[in-house]
Amino acid sequence: MFVYFLRRFISLIPMVLVLSFLIYLGLELTPGDAVSFMVPPDQIANLKPEDLEKMRDSLGLNDPFFIRYLNWLSGVLQGDFGYSLASGVAIKDIVLDRLPATLELSIAALIISSLLGVLFGTLSALYRGSITDNFFTLFGMIGVSVPEFIFGLIALVIFALNLEWLPVGQRLLPGYNSYWDHMPHLIMPAGVLALMMTAGVMRYARSSMLDSLNKEFIRTARSKGIPEWRVNFVHGLRVALIPIAVLIGFRLPMLIGGTVIIEQVFQWPGIGELFVYNVRSQNYPLVMMIAFFSVIAVLLASFLIDLVTAILDPRIKLE
Amino acid sequence: MSRETKPKSNLDKRFDLIRDREVFGYNPKESGNRAFKKLKSNRLAVIGLIFVLAIIFTSIFAPLFTKYNPQKVDLRNMLKPPSAEHILGTDKIGRDIYARIIYGGRISILVGLGSALGAALIGVSIGAYTGYRGGWWDSIFLRISEIVMSFPQIILVLLLVTILGQSLMNLIIIFTLTGWGSLYRMTRAQMLSLREEEYVQALRAFGLSRPRICFKHILPNALGPIMVNITLSTAMFILQEAGLSFLGLGVPLNIPTWGNILNVAQDLRILQNYWWVWLPSGITISLFVLAINFVGDGLRDSTDPTLHG
Repeated sequence: MFVYFLRRFISLIPMVLVLSFLIYLGLELTPGDAVSFMVPPDQIANLKPEDLEKMRDSLGLNDPFFIRYLNWLSGVLQGDFGYSLASGVAIKDIVLDRLPATLELSIAALIISSLLGVLFGTLSALYRGSITDNFFTLFGMIGVSVPEFIFGLIALVIFALNLEWLPVGQRLLPGYNSYWDHMPHLIMPAGVLALMMTAGVMRYARSSMLDSLNKEFIRTARSKGIPEWRVNFVHGLRVALIPIAVLIGFRLPMLIGGTVIIEQVFQWPGIGELFVYNVRSQNYPLVMMIAFFSVIAVLLASFLIDLVTAILDPRIKLE
Repeated sequence: MSRETKPKSNLDKRFDLIRDREVFGYNPKESGNRAFKKLKSNRLAVIGLIFVLAIIFTSIFAPLFTKYNPQKVDLRNMLKPPSAEHILGTDKIGRDIYARIIYGGRISILVGLGSALGAALIGVSIGAYTGYRGGWWDSIFLRISEIVMSFPQIILVLLLVTILGQSLMNLIIIFTLTGWGSLYRMTRAQMLSLREEEYVQALRAFGLSRPRICFKHILPNALGPIMVNITLSTAMFILQEAGLSFLGLGVPLNIPTWGNILNVAQDLRILQNYWWVWLPSGITISLFVLAINFVGDGLRDSTDPTLHG
C-alpha cells in the first residue's frame, strides 16, 4: 500500500514541473518587465536606469533562461509568488485574502448539493420509472442545460430586487464583521451554485444506487425479513455512497472554476471574481499564478482521491 | 449440366447477388437505418432535433424573419417594452431584441459547432492514430491531454483569452485547444479495445498501412460514441460562450451573440426593470442547449449496441 502511494506521489512531480515550466514561460512571454513582479513598484519608481540594470544582474534576470526558471521555481517553493502588476501587493497576500470567501461559498454549495443530490438520486433509483423519477430526470437535464448565471440573475431579480428578502451582492457590508452577518449574503450564490451541482450528483447517485440495489446482498437482506426501508437505506445506500463520496471529493477543487461566473453575478469577493477582474485588466502575473494554484489544487485532490479509493478498494493497488 | 456451362446474363448475376444477400441476412438499407429508427422512436430526441433545426434555420435565414438590422441604433426607441412593432422590445440604444437574438444565433451556434468540430478533428485524429499505434507518441499525447484536462476549464480558457486577446476566431481556437481532451480520451479508449479484434490482425497480415487500418477500418466502428460526444460538446461550448460573453470576455461586444445580449444584465437597473432585454436570450440559450442535450442522449441510446433491445 505504502509503495503504491509513494509511486502515485512521485508520478505527480513531473506533471507539476511541466506545468510550472509552462506557467513560467507564459510569465516571460507576456508583456511586463520582470523586475516589476519581483520588486514592489514603489521601490522601482525611485531607481535610476543603471541601478535598475544592476538590480537585474543581482536578481539574476540576465542569467540564461533555464537558470531564471530554477530561481523562480525555488522562490515559488518557498512561498514567494511575485507581485501584482497593478497594485504591487504580493500575490500571496492577495490570494490569501480572497481564499476564505471562495472556500466558504464552495463548501456551502458542496454540502447542499451533496445532500440534495444523494437524496434525489436515491429516491429516483428506488422509484425507478415512476413520475418522481421522471421529474428528477427532467430536473437534472434542466440543471445541466441552463447556464448558472441565468438562474443567478433570476434569483437576484426575484429575491433581492423585488421581494427584497436578501441582499443584492457582496459578502460583508462595512461595519458588520461577525460570521453570521454574511449568512444572508451567502444564501443566493451558494443556493444557485448548489442547484447546478445537484444535477450532476443526482445522476451519479441514481446509477450508483441502482447498481447497488441489483447486488446479491440486497436479495439476501430482503429474504432475511429485514424491513424494506432498512434494506434500501442501510444496506443499499451505504454501498452506493462510496463512489458518490469520491465524486463529491473530486468536485471541490473543480469548484474554483465553477465559482468564477457565480461570484461575478453576486459580486462575491472570492478568487473567481479576482481572477475575472485581473483577466480584464491584463494583470498577467496574478492570472498565471491563480491558474497555477488551481491546477495544483486539482492534482492534489486527485491524489487524495486515489488514496481514499485505494484504501476502500484494495484491488486497485494491484495494477 | 448444361446450365453450368452456359454463360450467365447480367440479370442472372444480379439475381444471384440478391439471393446471396438474402441467404446471409444482409440488407444494406435496413441495417443502415437501425440507429436512425431507434432515434425516431425517442420522442424527446425528435422534438429536440426539430427544435434545434428550426432555430438553426431561423438564424441562417434571419433576414426573412425580421426586417430590423440587429446593429442599427435607434435612439428614439430606447428600452421600449414588447409591442407589435418590436416583438421583444428594444435595448438600451434602441436595437431590436428579436433581431439580435436570431442574428446572434448565427455566431453562438457557429462558436459551439465550430469548436466542437475543431476539437473532434484534433482529438479524434490524434486519439485514433496514437491509440492504435501505441508506444512513445501515445504516452506523449496522453501526458499532454492530462496537463490540459487538469486545469478547471474556464480558468484555462480565461488564461488563454488574456494571452491571445479577444476575437471570434481566437475564441473558437481557444475552445478547440481546451476542449479536445475528452474526445481524444474517448477515441483512444475505443481504439485500445478495437485494435485487439481479429479483423485488425487480418488487415495487418494483408500488409495494409497503419493509417489505412486505423482511419478507414477501425475508426468507423467507434463513430457512434464520437457523434454523441460532438453533440454534447456543442451544447457545452454554447454554454461556455454565453458565460464568457456575459463576463464581457467572449466574442467582442459589438457582435451580437446570445451571451453578448445577456451582458447588459450585469446592470441591476436593467435587470430589475427591463426584463425583455435579457430574459428572452437566456431562455433561448437554455432551450437550445436543452434540446441539443435531448438529441445527444437520444443518439447515445440509439448508437450504443449494449442498449439494443
